[in-house]
Amino acid sequence: MALLDRIAAQEAPALKELYEHTSSKLYGLAMRVVGKREWAEDVLQEAYMTIWRSAGSYRASLSPPLAWMGLIVRSRGLDFLRRRTADRSNITQELDEVMADTLDGDSPSPMDTAQASQQAWALHQCMTRLDKRQRELVSLAYLRDLSHSELAEQLRLPLGSVKSWIRRGLEQLRICMARFA
Amino acid sequence: MHLPQHPELLDRLAASYALGTLRGGARRRFETLAREQAPVRAAALIWQSRLGSVAELQQQAPPAAAVWTRIDNLLRAEQEQQAMLNARIPATTPTGPGGWLRNLLLWRGATFAGVAAAAVAVVVGLNQQQHLTDQIASLQTQIQSAPQIEYVAVLQDNAAAASMLVTFDPKNHKLVLQRVGNFQEAGDKSLQLWALPPAGSPHSLGVLGRDKLLQLTAGEGDVKEIPTLAISLEPKGGVPGQGGPTGPVLFKGSLIQKVM
Repeated sequence: MALLDRIAAQEAPALKELYEHTSSKLYGLAMRVVGKREWAEDVLQEAYMTIWRSAGSYRASLSPPLAWMGLIVRSRGLDFLRRRTADRSNITQELDEVMADTLDGDSPSPMDTAQASQQAWALHQCMTRLDKRQRELVSLAYLRDLSHSELAEQLRLPLGSVKSWIRRGLEQLRICMARFA
Repeated sequence: MHLPQHPELLDRLAASYALGTLRGGARRRFETLAREQAPVRAAALIWQSRLGSVAELQQQAPPAAAVWTRIDNLLRAEQEQQAMLNARIPATTPTGPGGWLRNLLLWRGATFAGVAAAAVAVVVGLNQQQHLTDQIASLQTQIQSAPQIEYVAVLQDNAAAASMLVTFDPKNHKLVLQRVGNFQEAGDKSLQLWALPPAGSPHSLGVLGRDKLLQLTAGEGDVKEIPTLAISLEPKGGVPGQGGPTGPVLFKGSLIQKVM
């Protein structure tokens, strides 16, 4: 948080320090949103420039620093995807390095407890109770802002299954999150 | 339909709204309800902030070293440009913090709108502006009829609907809050009032009871030179200890010192 104040005062070394602390986290996120390494690099670059320019408005958002930066990465990533979609229509034909291992890998949802906000911790607790497919679909729907049918298309899964996994996943998440503040 | 009377359905709709899977007509109907009913807006905000944490839970991956080099280059170019701009401004004031600050503020102001729009998910329509102006006018009339009040804030939710009128009477150390919207927190939640100083962490001014008219004790030091007040939704009894807000911010507004 002190770093963001220094960035708001346009101290360039503070941005480097912030980058060293957060770039792996945010690059991982950018990868999940756009799905390709070189795109994620572009998104990361835009995101840090946005952070540099708008750190002054960070305090007004009252969110935990990482959550605020995460929102910036996601929205830069979605902008990026929209621009690509506008350029060429068949974006789903491109190799998606994330989608490929989204549904068959078995990595548990990672958690860096040192940096995460209290709220992220609660969400993490609830997410780990979901079945892996539900968790992945809920995360991807959110991170990529995809509808049921877009998800079904991109993951080559039947629309009915996607709908019911998301519905059940979100319902479980809802009941679980109600227990946290 | 009066959604707030169906808390479970409201919660479910708000969750899929925030996730983005609520689409088409259903989404538009939900947005209309959110514009009309503060509890619906609050539910949507809560879920947006919860799901926002999904971004924090992703696998880490170190980016290639070249990415920092590119950012660093852009940064230098931007700073050089800034320096050139600064040099062009005639030095009517010493080239100290004044000019620099003014520049920064202008610049921040210009970027803020775009960034805020991009970074914060927006629930609102903008057509409440007139409504808001009327509300503020009537609040101002109320304010003028009450003496001894030196600080005033109208806290708004993110649909720009006035939701809480805050006045501060430094003589009697009285901070009075009046709920003007129809928002009512759930039984297991409390609203908490925060002072947001220009630098440093927000500090709590107190936890609000459930009444329409509320009173907190505060010294002038707590309020003086505080540009903004905010109210967040917290677990019942407020945030334990000295920590900052943990829940979503529901209402926010500038604190204005009345000129006598």
